[in-house]
Amino acid sequence: MATAFEFAPAIALFPLAAFVIALAFGKYMPKKGALAGIAATAASLVFSLWAFVTVAGGETYHETLYEWAVGDPTSEAGVQGIEFTFGILLDPLSTLMLVIVSLIALLVHVFSLGYMNAEGETGLPRYYAELGLFTFSMLAFVFADNLLMAFMFFELVGLCSYLLIGFWFRTESAPSAAKKAFLVTRFGDYFFLLGVVAIAATFGTLQFAGPESFVDAAADAIDGEETLFGFGAETWVTITGLLVLGGVIGKSAQFPLHTWLPDAMEGPTTVSALIHAATMVAAGVYLVARMFGYYALSPTALAIIAFVGGFTALFAATMGVVKDDIKQVLAYSTISQYGYMMLGLGVGGYVAGVFHLMNHAFFKALLFLGAGAVIILMHHEQDMWKMGGLKDKAPVTYYTFLAGALALAGIIPFSGFWSKDEILYDAFVLGLEDPVFGVAYAMALLAVFFTGLYTFRMVILTFHGEPRSEAAADPHPVGPSVTFPLATLGVLALVAGVANLAPIAKLTGMDITYLEFWLDGEYGVVDGLTYTAYTETIGYPAGEIVSEQATLLIAAGLGLGLAVAGALTAYVLYSGPEPVRHTEKLGSVYGVLRNNYYQDEYQVWLARNLTLPVARGADRFDQGVIDGVVNGVSSVSLFGGGGVKRLQTGVVTNYAALIMLGFLALLLVFGLHGGWFL
Amino acid sequence: MIIETLIAVTLVGALVTFLAPNRIAGKLAFAISLIPAAVSLWMFTAFDGSGNALLEGTLAFESRFEWITLGEYTISWFVGLDGISLPLVVLTTVLTSLAIVSSWTPIDDREAQFYGLVLFIEANLIGVFVALDFFLWFIFWEAVLIPMYLLIGVWGGPRRKYAAIKFFVYTNVASLVMFGAFIALVVGLGDAVTSFALPEITEAMLDGGPGEFAGIAGTTLTSVVFVAMFVGFAVKVPVVPFHTWLPDAHVEAPTPASVLLAGVLLKMGTYALLRFNFTMFPSDVVSTFAIPIAAIAVISVIYGAMLALAQTDLKRIVAYSSVSSMGYVILGLIAYTQYGVGGATFQMVSHGLISGLMFMAVGVIYNATHTRMVTDMSGMADKMPVAVGILIAGAFGYMGLPLMSGFAAEYFIFFGAFGSEMLEYAPIFTALAMFGIVIVAGYLLFAMQRTLFGPYRLETDYEVTRAPFHDVAPMFVLLGLIIALGVAPELIFDMIRDAVDPILGGEL
Amino acid sequence: MTVPVEYYVLLSLALFCIGLFGVLTRRNALMFLMSVELMLNAATINLIAFAFYHGNLTGQVFALFAMALAAAEVAVGLGIILVLYRNFRDVDVTVPSTMRW
Repeated sequence: MATAFEFAPAIALFPLAAFVIALAFGKYMPKKGALAGIAATAASLVFSLWAFVTVAGGETYHETLYEWAVGDPTSEAGVQGIEFTFGILLDPLSTLMLVIVSLIALLVHVFSLGYMNAEGETGLPRYYAELGLFTFSMLAFVFADNLLMAFMFFELVGLCSYLLIGFWFRTESAPSAAKKAFLVTRFGDYFFLLGVVAIAATFGTLQFAGPESFVDAAADAIDGEETLFGFGAETWVTITGLLVLGGVIGKSAQFPLHTWLPDAMEGPTTVSALIHAATMVAAGVYLVARMFGYYALSPTALAIIAFVGGFTALFAATMGVVKDDIKQVLAYSTISQYGYMMLGLGVGGYVAGVFHLMNHAFFKALLFLGAGAVIILMHHEQDMWKMGGLKDKAPVTYYTFLAGALALAGIIPFSGFWSKDEILYDAFVLGLEDPVFGVAYAMALLAVFFTGLYTFRMVILTFHGEPRSEAAADPHPVGPSVTFPLATLGVLALVAGVANLAPIAKLTGMDITYLEFWLDGEYGVVDGLTYTAYTETIGYPAGEIVSEQATLLIAAGLGLGLAVAGALTAYVLYSGPEPVRHTEKLGSVYGVLRNNYYQDEYQVWLARNLTLPVARGADRFDQGVIDGVVNGVSSVSLFGGGGVKRLQTGVVTNYAALIMLGFLALLLVFGLHGGWFL
Repeated sequence: MIIETLIAVTLVGALVTFLAPNRIAGKLAFAISLIPAAVSLWMFTAFDGSGNALLEGTLAFESRFEWITLGEYTISWFVGLDGISLPLVVLTTVLTSLAIVSSWTPIDDREAQFYGLVLFIEANLIGVFVALDFFLWFIFWEAVLIPMYLLIGVWGGPRRKYAAIKFFVYTNVASLVMFGAFIALVVGLGDAVTSFALPEITEAMLDGGPGEFAGIAGTTLTSVVFVAMFVGFAVKVPVVPFHTWLPDAHVEAPTPASVLLAGVLLKMGTYALLRFNFTMFPSDVVSTFAIPIAAIAVISVIYGAMLALAQTDLKRIVAYSSVSSMGYVILGLIAYTQYGVGGATFQMVSHGLISGLMFMAVGVIYNATHTRMVTDMSGMADKMPVAVGILIAGAFGYMGLPLMSGFAAEYFIFFGAFGSEMLEYAPIFTALAMFGIVIVAGYLLFAMQRTLFGPYRLETDYEVTRAPFHDVAPMFVLLGLIIALGVAPELIFDMIRDAVDPILGGEL
Repeated sequence: MTVPVEYYVLLSLALFCIGLFGVLTRRNALMFLMSVELMLNAATINLIAFAFYHGNLTGQVFALFAMALAAAEVAVGLGIILVLYRNFRDVDVTVPSTMRW
């Protein structure tokens, strides 16, 4: 009997095959490659579920499958001789993520039938091929068992997002957005690669798990108080951890490398759904979860993660409030939500962070696909001020979108509430002890209000009131390939919270925190990669007010209250048949928010007004000075030659005279030398 | 005798092509070039050498005859292959075949002479990589310049004469410096050597080095010769500040000449650096120059990339990025670790393939549009989807995308350099050089956005058509090789490592 | 009574200097050729004088060779002058200088 694990590589290879098929034969296939993609992602989903069930049965899988580059262990160069391999690690975390990714990818493929095929796009084989490659890269990234393999597929994910964001390459804006996405994330990946190199050079291994893992090696080094590269072991772990974090900040669009993500809305909406929910952006946070044991060794790194997360959550939420484009609102909500996940991980809430990652994958995919459906309804209009009144004309879209919105805002009992509450609770109890985390918590808590506000502003403007344009009054119908994914995700957005009802468990004492058990190795377990192990390593103190239950209720009440307050504010401001643009009353604040705190401006300035002039200056220096010296040398010899050649007059008489004079001079020299005249 | 056959067949083929009618010259040259390609691929499979050619390794396909006796020195025909030279020979033969196919479209004048010269270059390039006697090696080394001078000077662009003369004089003067230094070294070694065979000279060098020569102490002589040879090879590589001949030569050279120039000729410099400076000289000599050389490497990477950022001619962009990529090779060499030196060798092969691909792709676009200026065109992806697709793939290869050979090479170099024990402040140098991967993404993405994407715009009075199959086919082959090496670097890294290890010796 | 060899040498020297003077000052190609012939003859006189002085025939033989050579040279020289005249309508040696650089 073959086990699921023997087929593990197939999970990623199916979409790769779909990539090749769609690229080579997509033109000739009935749905231009969509069917290959759907079949492949469905197969990936089946195998992922099989692996998931097997892990639930108590088994895990960690195997090196391919030696990419083999350093010679007998080399006298010592630690240089390490091996770089490809391997698969199937533990609770990765199988969970595999299921999420392949599920979302499948739904996005199905949705694309309605969004892309039905709209008669050109270049569909390319689209499906790139989706396949995207899914392949992400799946391979998820089950990677070492940091280098993770980096490699992390980069491929970046490539695919570049290709897909730039799908409509005939426009001016899409290629520019694609370039920005790749370049900004590349900047983050520079630090990531440096981190990978540093970790490999320090510990001689890049494995995530097992006795040979760099996490264990780092722990030993800290215990042994070793000096690594001139730093104390813990400092060095912090430095390398933060370097890797650079890649995370780039990919997961955290401040200050978040600027690419709103621009990435230039891609097809389906692609946005995939990027935001399950692949590119999720990759960053997943990486932190994957190597959480390493960050757990460094309180400084964790504090930075938490602080960046909390800040980004608030920062992005405030910008989301003033956007008019439905996809832009969702883009900023993504940045904000990933900020929450980072905060959750940073305060040691490993389970909470992963829980939110999962829930967010469902409800954000739902919201984006819902936005895609709205865009179909609206004949490709994305400005919310031109929508309105879609509630009655597209009920399936409306109710599923509403489910997603409630989850995003964190309203009980939708999934988003449970995971966000858990993150906030973890941050709260830590914030009571440590003011740094307290500030991060406060920012995240404030962001809850803005989340409610922008979410319901979006819902109300889009679906409620009276139609504000002809397209809204007479929407384009949507087919089953659109509604089916929406319905599936709508249900998940509602019920996914059941996976980890931590507050209820704490209040009632019931053992229903299944996700925590799952990640804590109650089922399948890989040594060291458990919640308990991480918590022990970190050893954060937990503060409380009165009692644990009371603390819990205070935290949950604050979060829920602010979310509802935000939603109500939106209702008060924007409900009614003809909503008013309240945002403009904000005055100069509106300008700042509208311009995204001028983050784009300074980054563009760095590229255009700093780097480019420096490059031009270097070019002038190169052409003028360096090449000038080269040409100067040749000019000097040319000039010298030009002078000497004048001796050659072409008049025979002169030559004869010269010969004569030369002869006489020679005679004179020999004569003087030989002493004739003495 | 197989190596002699390889060179002889190519030389005879060059002569035959040179005299053939223009009409058939292209096809004939391609057919002939398949022979060395096939032979070298066979040698690749039948390779049975081990160790480093200069350090008592077992040579594959070795052959040695005495040729000339010059006073107390013997000059011999001494050729053989080890794990460093074999991949480069294969690179040469394969790239030449592909370059010949890629010139079918652009070359429409004096074809027979053109293809004859290309084959003549190939023969000499093979010679450079197989020769193990200094004198023999130097003959091939210099002989490469002549056909390349003619290719640029006869078939080149508007400023071809300037570029060709600059190329020839610059590299020739550098050869002179290097030659003088090497002869001084051999004379300085005195009785320890009786031939110009490189293994023998290496042994003498590692055995104590030169004695006093012309009033200069042995150790000083060693240092001076090291620097002089480094400078001599640095021009060929080229490293900043000796790089200015390269963009001019590339811009003026016809596409196939650019392919060979970037693909193989630049590797002659790094190959020679590895063979002479980093193998022949003991590691304590190398380590005295570690920091300056690493600084030069970093400057080459960053400065070259910055220059590429400022260009608007596609060929100049690729040319300057070659300077940048060659900086990585220097960094890998000076790291003096298994992954560093091995990665540098890997990068030679990898960059040969990738830059060859890039020049071919730019050439195909130029064939169709008759312009290379970024500012002149946009939206080319609409008109020539396949060629543009390959150009994008090549550009990402250049950026070091994982699963393509460029990433493997760069990763090996960075990893090797980061933990280098010879180089002080190695992590800082590595981090600085690594920033090149961001700049390279910047200028390539920028150029691609401007030329390939956006609405189609190009002012021409003729129809821009898709590239013919024989223009695109060689690029597919190169792309296949790039991906194969990226997925399975062990294909060649295994033998490279085997040849590199003895260099590092037990001293580290 | 024989003439001492010094007188022959002085004669030859004088002849050579006359020839040289002609070469250095004349611009007419014909005069030029004649001056060159004078210098050649000065050398021939030297050869014969020293042959006589040494008492062997080697110099005489060389003189014969030199005369034959001079005849050939005149033929070539006159040919050149004719071509010169045809091309430039002049026999001035300073005119044809286009081949200098």
